[in-house]
Amino acid sequence: MTKIGLEIHCQLTKLESKLFCSCKANYREFEPNHNICPVCMGLPGSLPRLNQKAVESATSIAMALSCKTPEKIAFFRKNYFYPDLPKNFQITQLNVYGDMSIGGEGYVDVEGAKIKIRRIQLEEDPGRLIYEGESERTKITLVDYNRAGTPLVEIVTDPDFENPRQVRVFLNILSDLLENLGVAEPGLEGAMRADGNVSIEGGNKVEIKNIGSFHDLEKALHFEITRQESLSERDIEIVQETRHWDDRRKITISSRSKEEDQDYRYFLENDIPWVKIDQETITSLQKNMPESISSKKERFVEKFDIAPQVADILASDKYYFDLFENAHSDSDAKDIANLITTDLMGFVDTKEKREKSKLTSQHLSDLIAAINDKTLTRTSSKTALQEIVKSGKSVKELLSEMDLGQVSDSSEIENIIMEVFEEEKQAVLDAKENPETVNYLVGKVMQKTKGKADPTKTLELIKSKLG
Amino acid sequence: MVDEGEIIRVAKLMKIDLEDHTEHVGRVKKMLEYFDILDQIDLSSEEIVSQEKALAELRKDEFVPNDKKLIESLKNFREHYVRAPKMN
Amino acid sequence: MNLKTSILDYINDVKSGSFSVEEFTSATIQRIKDVDGDVHAYLSLNESAIDDARAIDKKISAGEKVGTCYGFPISIKDNICITGSKTTCASKILENFVAPYTATVVSKLQSEDAIVTGKTNLDEFAMGLTTEFSAYGPTKNPWNLKYVPGGSSGGSAASVAANECLASLGSDTGGSVRNPASFCSVVGLKPTYGLISRYGLISYANSIEQIGPVTKTVKDCGFLLNVIAGQDSNDDTTIDNANSDYLNDIEQGIEGKNIGIIKEMTSDGLSPEVSSATKNAIQDFEKLGAHCEEVSLPTIPYTVAAYYTITSTEAGSNLARYDNIRYGYDFESEGYEYNSYISKSRTKFGPEVIRRIILGGFVPSAGHAGKYFLKALKVKSKLISEANSAFEKYDYLISPTAPVQPFQFGEKIDDPVTLMLLDYNTVTANLTGKPAISVPYRVTDGLPIGMQIIGDGKSEKSLLQAAYALESKTDLPEVPL
Ligand SMILES: [Zn+2]
Repeated sequence: MTKIGLEIHCQLTKLESKLFCSCKANYREFEPNHNICPVCMGLPGSLPRLNQKAVESATSIAMALSCKTPEKIAFFRKNYFYPDLPKNFQITQLNVYGDMSIGGEGYVDVEGAKIKIRRIQLEEDPGRLIYEGESERTKITLVDYNRAGTPLVEIVTDPDFENPRQVRVFLNILSDLLENLGVAEPGLEGAMRADGNVSIEGGNKVEIKNIGSFHDLEKALHFEITRQESLSERDIEIVQETRHWDDRRKITISSRSKEEDQDYRYFLENDIPWVKIDQETITSLQKNMPESISSKKERFVEKFDIAPQVADILASDKYYFDLFENAHSDSDAKDIANLITTDLMGFVDTKEKREKSKLTSQHLSDLIAAINDKTLTRTSSKTALQEIVKSGKSVKELLSEMDLGQVSDSSEIENIIMEVFEEEKQAVLDAKENPETVNYLVGKVMQKTKGKADPTKTLELIKSKLG
Repeated sequence: MVDEGEIIRVAKLMKIDLEDHTEHVGRVKKMLEYFDILDQIDLSSEEIVSQEKALAELRKDEFVPNDKKLIESLKNFREHYVRAPKMN
Repeated sequence: MNLKTSILDYINDVKSGSFSVEEFTSATIQRIKDVDGDVHAYLSLNESAIDDARAIDKKISAGEKVGTCYGFPISIKDNICITGSKTTCASKILENFVAPYTATVVSKLQSEDAIVTGKTNLDEFAMGLTTEFSAYGPTKNPWNLKYVPGGSSGGSAASVAANECLASLGSDTGGSVRNPASFCSVVGLKPTYGLISRYGLISYANSIEQIGPVTKTVKDCGFLLNVIAGQDSNDDTTIDNANSDYLNDIEQGIEGKNIGIIKEMTSDGLSPEVSSATKNAIQDFEKLGAHCEEVSLPTIPYTVAAYYTITSTEAGSNLARYDNIRYGYDFESEGYEYNSYISKSRTKFGPEVIRRIILGGFVPSAGHAGKYFLKALKVKSKLISEANSAFEKYDYLISPTAPVQPFQFGEKIDDPVTLMLLDYNTVTANLTGKPAISVPYRVTDGLPIGMQIIGDGKSEKSLLQAAYALESKTDLPEVPL
């Protein structure tokens, strides 16, 4: 049986400051090496100062993944030399003196399968290396330390996945969960990264690193499973090793650095005292934790009678959820839910579109109100949404400017019905014979009014004309 | 007995060049041999201890830009990047 | 003008107008010029000391508020950072390092109008007990220039003993303030772990080291502690000292106090002179009304090994950052591969630092941690328990600060185990985090002997009372320089 395990790294970009200093947690808008200070550059004489909220956010993640959280957390130094590490050690967590990392022993339900979370730890991100130059000979290594010290949560799963597809579903669930908690933005470039490990029946575990995106992860896992299976078929031993994903060639290749040469000499980071996390803190974090995705979904279905698949979209996508929660009242919840999932989605389905969009939740409640008091037809709402997303104009402005108001004036509708009757003589006869075909005529009227005619009134008038 | 080859291997991992400095190896070995005294004490009931702090005493999450352009006082290459030696 | 004065007398003299801050500062700088060629206590001098003095004089004459230090001159160990000045750790690898920030202790001193005279010599990265391991040459003992001043804060202790300043700040990882204080006949305190901010102190073994004052008198030590102690938002390991006044009630005496004479530190390994001085000191404590008896802390024989295991582990990690990539000295990386470049760069480390880094790679490594590092941590735990139970019974624990008197240059440097054992009496305070002070007690054959008093955690106030009481029993000669 194939077994896949994951190590996911997620930056806590919703924090203001880095893990051990007051530089910006989200380093993305700075010039190279302009989001640094003596602490994150590891200058001699500087000391790390742990960010309280980073501990709280990471603990919330642990709780949301049903982990146990310890009474005390400790930090350790992982010692190795690399140019992206200003101190040549990384401050991270480890469970050697008892369970003292942020959390552990949790799980996530993935389509009925239970994926166990082995450990969650809080650590600092290293800086970023940039390679310049074309040939091997002219290549130079540049370092940008803006990212160094960004708070990072590492989530380690047990090897509980059976196939890459399950991994994909899990990662979607996990990124929705992290976004829902309001601690991370998994959509940001490089904010969420995952390494995998794979073993097949009778073979050793192989770690795969250097994977750029979740999409590549799936490819890398597929490649690795196929590679291992083909070795196994030929009775060649699968050696325990670390392999790197070669993004260009889309294959995994054995790492040159020998793992046995690595000795991280883990020991306590004594510049940071052990942090006590008392029951009171846990209770208050629990209380302030956003509602879970599954509980949201349940609530929408039960309270508002929203269809399960619609509720699922609203609950798991934080963007839609926020729009929905701020727009709806008890009476119009279902309408707003449907408006979001049928009409709005196409306009705001990517991060770029969402960033540009001028739509607010007020627009949604105004639109539904306009539909309900019949100043706007349901069919015009899509056109209106498109314009709102683009310009941010209020519904009131739109109704007057764009001529989207509903036509419910009887004489105006009657005139149009006359026109339709003139053009569709056969249909009129059919309708007289068989009242069920009347909808065809209603449709023609709606077409002529570009959907603005009040459909109920139109039907009423047609029926009375048909006699 | 401490293996001298092991000392040389560790020195390399610590990025210490021991070429022409074999006297260090002998001296380190003497120190390590003195540490053997640690084998003579019963520590079976001891736990590792540390200073402790309450969560509330930790630094508050605030962004405070570093007022100085730190990079200008450090080694920097073009566009304020730091240059590292060639990675193999 | 008397440069042999104490801080407290100096302040009274400046307040009463006996001399100006500038006059005293100039005289101090002249003294440095006269004697430091021989003593070599300083690695660099503060060029603006006279300007700083004038500014304070101006405040005094204008009747403005003046800081409590009134411009007294203080030297700072060269592993403590001051903005814009070189901080070398007496190492070639930091030859050109200019810190972009000032250590909390120095900021506190400056805001109370103390004048920094300069940066003092040390064993490279504070690893040593003689200052012979300074990359810039050793400091000499002002009592006899052929003898070592102790270490690693040898420059600090010598600068105070030679009247090249009124006080100094050193750092104490395993005795580095107390040992040179003992060797140079000055007062040296290693405070409770966390009492003084380490922000700006370049780390050697951060889990046990503290910055400590070096002064001529116990009262001066209390005065300095009042200025520099207390919680610091830049150092998460600092503790609340409830704004204690360490000078207030310092003359209270120790009548009725219980003193434990640490058996393991007073039986074997003491020189006859130190042994005899210790016996006299115990008699003096009895005369002061304290009750003395022997107490055993059976873990002490293992502490030196534990101490060197822990310090080298932390040093190996703390000194890993010196790879010459982000700061350091000019050395072109062109043509080098990463590993060979940093290994070449790190040849600038001196021999003792190199040895400790290797040890620091060895003792905590996956294959050896069980034999060395984890045991060392457990020795520390065991020692803490023993010390805590001793303090349930005793107010103070005492021993001589060093088992021997100062020795000549080159005498012990070749035997690493002999060198390590010089720390035998001092490392206990570091491993337990307890405060300990060295008080000048004797000068025998022209060479000083200091007594060590250890107190319970955060008991500096009571510790200084005992130190003051012992000091009052002494009558020591003046330094012959
Ligand atoms: Zn920073």
